[in-house]
Amino acid sequence: MAELTESRMRYFPTSMRAAIIASSFWVLSLSLTVLSGSVAAFVGCVLTCYLMDGRLRRPPLQQLRSFAIILAALVVCGMGLLLASLLTSTALPGALTSPMLAFNAGEFLQWFALSASITAILRTLAHRTSYGAVIEILFVATAFVITLAAHRNGMIHRPFFIGDFALVRGIDPSAILMAFGCAAVLSLAALLMVENTERRLPYHFAVLGMLCFSLLIYIRMFGLPTPQLTDDLGLTGQEQLGNSSQRDNPFRDGENDASDKEAPVAVVVFRDDYTPLNGAYYFRESAYSEFRGSMLDFTTRADMDQDLIKNFTNTRSESAQLPTALDQHTPVRMTIGMLVAHRSPFGLESPVAYENVANPNNLRFKRTYDAYSMAPEYDFEYMLGRETGRADWSDEVLQKYLEVPDDPRYKELAESLLTDLKPEYADDPFAKAWSIKTYLDENGIYSLKNEHAYADDPAASFLFGDLTGYCMHFSFAATYMFRSVGIPSRVGIGYSVPASNRAGGSSLLVQAIHGHAWPEIYFKDVGWVIVDPAPQQTLVDMSTDPQNELQQLLGDMLRDDASFEDFLDSQQTPFIDLQMLLNTLYAVALLILLAGYSVKFYRLWIPAHTVADKQYRVGYRAVLDKLSAVGMRRRYGESREQFARRASTLTPSIELMTDAHLRCALGDAAVQNNPSQWAAMRLHIDQELRASTATSRRVIALINPFSWLMTK
Amino acid sequence: MTSESIAVMPGLDANHTSAITESTTSGNSLATSIAVLNQLISAVKAQVLGRDDVIELAIIALIADGHVLLEDFPGSGKTTLAKALGEAIVGDSATTAEFIVPFRRIQFTPDLLPSDVTGVPIFDTSTNEFIFRHGPLFAHVVLADEINRTSPKVQSAMLEAMGEKQVTVDNVTYKLDDLFFVIATQNPLDLVGTYPLPTPQLDRFLFKITMVHIDRDAELDVLATYKERRDKTANKITVTRDAVLAARRQIDQEVNISSAVKTALVDISRNLREDDRVLQGNSTRSMVLMLPALQVVAALRGRNYVSAADIELLLPRVLGHRIELAPGVSDLSRVLADNMCEPMEQLARGTLS
Repeated sequence: MAELTESRMRYFPTSMRAAIIASSFWVLSLSLTVLSGSVAAFVGCVLTCYLMDGRLRRPPLQQLRSFAIILAALVVCGMGLLLASLLTSTALPGALTSPMLAFNAGEFLQWFALSASITAILRTLAHRTSYGAVIEILFVATAFVITLAAHRNGMIHRPFFIGDFALVRGIDPSAILMAFGCAAVLSLAALLMVENTERRLPYHFAVLGMLCFSLLIYIRMFGLPTPQLTDDLGLTGQEQLGNSSQRDNPFRDGENDASDKEAPVAVVVFRDDYTPLNGAYYFRESAYSEFRGSMLDFTTRADMDQDLIKNFTNTRSESAQLPTALDQHTPVRMTIGMLVAHRSPFGLESPVAYENVANPNNLRFKRTYDAYSMAPEYDFEYMLGRETGRADWSDEVLQKYLEVPDDPRYKELAESLLTDLKPEYADDPFAKAWSIKTYLDENGIYSLKNEHAYADDPAASFLFGDLTGYCMHFSFAATYMFRSVGIPSRVGIGYSVPASNRAGGSSLLVQAIHGHAWPEIYFKDVGWVIVDPAPQQTLVDMSTDPQNELQQLLGDMLRDDASFEDFLDSQQTPFIDLQMLLNTLYAVALLILLAGYSVKFYRLWIPAHTVADKQYRVGYRAVLDKLSAVGMRRRYGESREQFARRASTLTPSIELMTDAHLRCALGDAAVQNNPSQWAAMRLHIDQELRASTATSRRVIALINPFSWLMTK
Repeated sequence: MTSESIAVMPGLDANHTSAITESTTSGNSLATSIAVLNQLISAVKAQVLGRDDVIELAIIALIADGHVLLEDFPGSGKTTLAKALGEAIVGDSATTAEFIVPFRRIQFTPDLLPSDVTGVPIFDTSTNEFIFRHGPLFAHVVLADEINRTSPKVQSAMLEAMGEKQVTVDNVTYKLDDLFFVIATQNPLDLVGTYPLPTPQLDRFLFKITMVHIDRDAELDVLATYKERRDKTANKITVTRDAVLAARRQIDQEVNISSAVKTALVDISRNLREDDRVLQGNSTRSMVLMLPALQVVAALRGRNYVSAADIELLLPRVLGHRIELAPGVSDLSRVLADNMCEPMEQLARGTLS
């Protein structure tokens, strides 16, 4: 138990600590309550800090054990909460005053009780135990961390109270967040500094070290808190040059966790209006099309997948193979801002051209480009009766698109499914594909926790096993079955975003959870058509809350930074006019400066133009002004004689002048030197000063407008 | 004035002559008084070596009509100092009663009686009446040696003499000389069997001066010149009693004490009384006694006005024995400095407004 000698409260450290803990309460309460609650939390904390620091070492509290004080604080807290809930839950207070008032009073009481009791406990422990102050520091750190935690996963508009505050005032939210970080560091440092017992310093440093170390570990394990890809779809999160024939197993067990699922990956701004018929925007990035050894992989053949744009270029690049049936497609231009680096550009369904555009915000976007797509306008009925394959494909290419693992079960299963087809559709490729899809829809179970990755053929393990897996399993299984019944198909990879996410705006947020793989079929004269199985049973909740604000914010940033600036400017006008404020400040500063100079030069000028009986005063004052300008000032309580003795190193005549001055001031007022004598003395001192001070010192003395303030 | 007949004696050091010449620029009305002061100082300095500060303070007290308490050890030259001072002042037969002598020394002992210091009426058989035999107090300068060794009865007899300049014996009051000046001593260490001076008695001493051992060179000088200094026949500097009294009057008239200085004194006193570290502050009388002393210092420095420097010089000597510090507080100079700071600042600022 720390027995500190001083029993009196020291106001500065107490106020500082109170302010810091109270602001952590304020920050904590911001997202949880209304203004009255936050105010109550702040006030309660400050009051309790003063109370505990002032009274803990005086009789009533001094005799209580820490345990008793903590218990009392808890009881008070409980009673406060009870009273607060009574205020809001019973009808009487609301009826007596107004419901708003009753609610505010309830919040006030609740947060006051909470913050006061927690502060009381914290302060008691800090005073009486060696580890108590550590808890205090941890509390402050936790308050900041909890408040800012909403910001993780690239949610730059969160926490809302910061994001909204910043956007309304036209400030980049990240600036405010950084300010919060600085405030947190300063607060913790200040808490450390006000701790005047060295014995506790090691504890505190240990805690700070632990905090820093845990940050380090966090970064090592989870990377910097930029949007992170789940990497389950072959999207490596890295731009890679050249072809990627050597890729990792796309099937992963247990590595797909949904914790990062909301992380924004990219934002798409539609320049042309387009709504997909099948309820989802598909953005294709690449495809697994060539069967090599054990499973499908990126193709290495130049004559396959010619519709894909494989690499980013600095100029416009176009797809080598355009979809046909132009009347069934609509051209859509979109601007895409990637928040995370990707291997290849992606665009709506099938991008036909890609063009790099200037990045409006280098901090925010890794890459921005325009994508031109031919978006499908047909529905699935249009596909009925169409043939598959493309006219200019060689037989070799067609065979590649039909290659399946050496496993007869695919064909057996597929054919068994096709037996149910109506006779008129028995030879229709789309109908065949649809029935295979329907089988997977009805029997497959969507799950991220699967155990197929290390089977020789994960797709077989899934399809002929428990039928439990995620999109990669579904798409591979479907593609294999399509191919086994002679439908050229591949696995498309990219993102699939529900059309409802657009929420009427022109921008669309792509999040990590939207990463997807799907089977697609090439229909003659149409192009690659997505036939995406949608399992009806799912073991994992892949839904997300709509991020409309973030979507709009990022869209605005991407669309046109200039217009975004205009928007911010337009938001600024009701706020204080910064320019006006600055101008006023300049004017005031200039006025103060002018006033300083005029007083300074008036005081130097007046001795030559005043009557004899004031000479002793204004003349001496002028000399003192000159001395203070070169840094020779009378100290507080120092007599004029002592000062003159000190100043005589600079100008010996000051002693004589001081004597003359004092003789007039303290002695017989009738005795006066005549003005010429005073002028002579001043002149003499001027000469001595010039000889004894450096030129630079005198220049500074002349420039300084407020040197006369130092004259006493 | 009689003092005008006294010529400026040789042997004044450069400081003092310059002080005089400087003062003449402001008016030579003080010149004679300053000359008297400097003669006294040089007269005593010729006899007492290495104690210039004590000599100056003693002279200041003499002119300021105060008394001095020296706290020192035996053999430190206090008798020499008092004697030199006494002998430097010669009585004028015209104005001085014949029973007033220049110098008396009283050795205080526990069995001393008041009449031993004041004098006693004796029955004269030739005239059949009581005549008053004047005691040792009837002198210009009285050295009251080891004043704390005598009984309170004798001390209180001294009290009246010092305060009122008179003694009362058998209900008859006898006036002492106008110049009556007491230099009392006490030994700060050997306190067994003493009667420490009570506060009212202490309050009557203008200064309490704690002497320190003189430095090595001065001590060597003392050993080298003790014979010459004891030579009675040597030509000595003297000042007449009337000249001293005239100087006292003149300084009182000519040296101005501005109201700002008085304000500063009162403020310092009030600050001291309110200070937690001070049990008992100084009396109003101490301020009253101090004013003439301030004037003398100013005159000695060649000024016809009292300034802050004079206060800084005298205040520790005047208040040192008057202020009772709280238990545990020992640094008087610190207490004084703290309490002086603000009034002195006001005094300094006041000169510009």
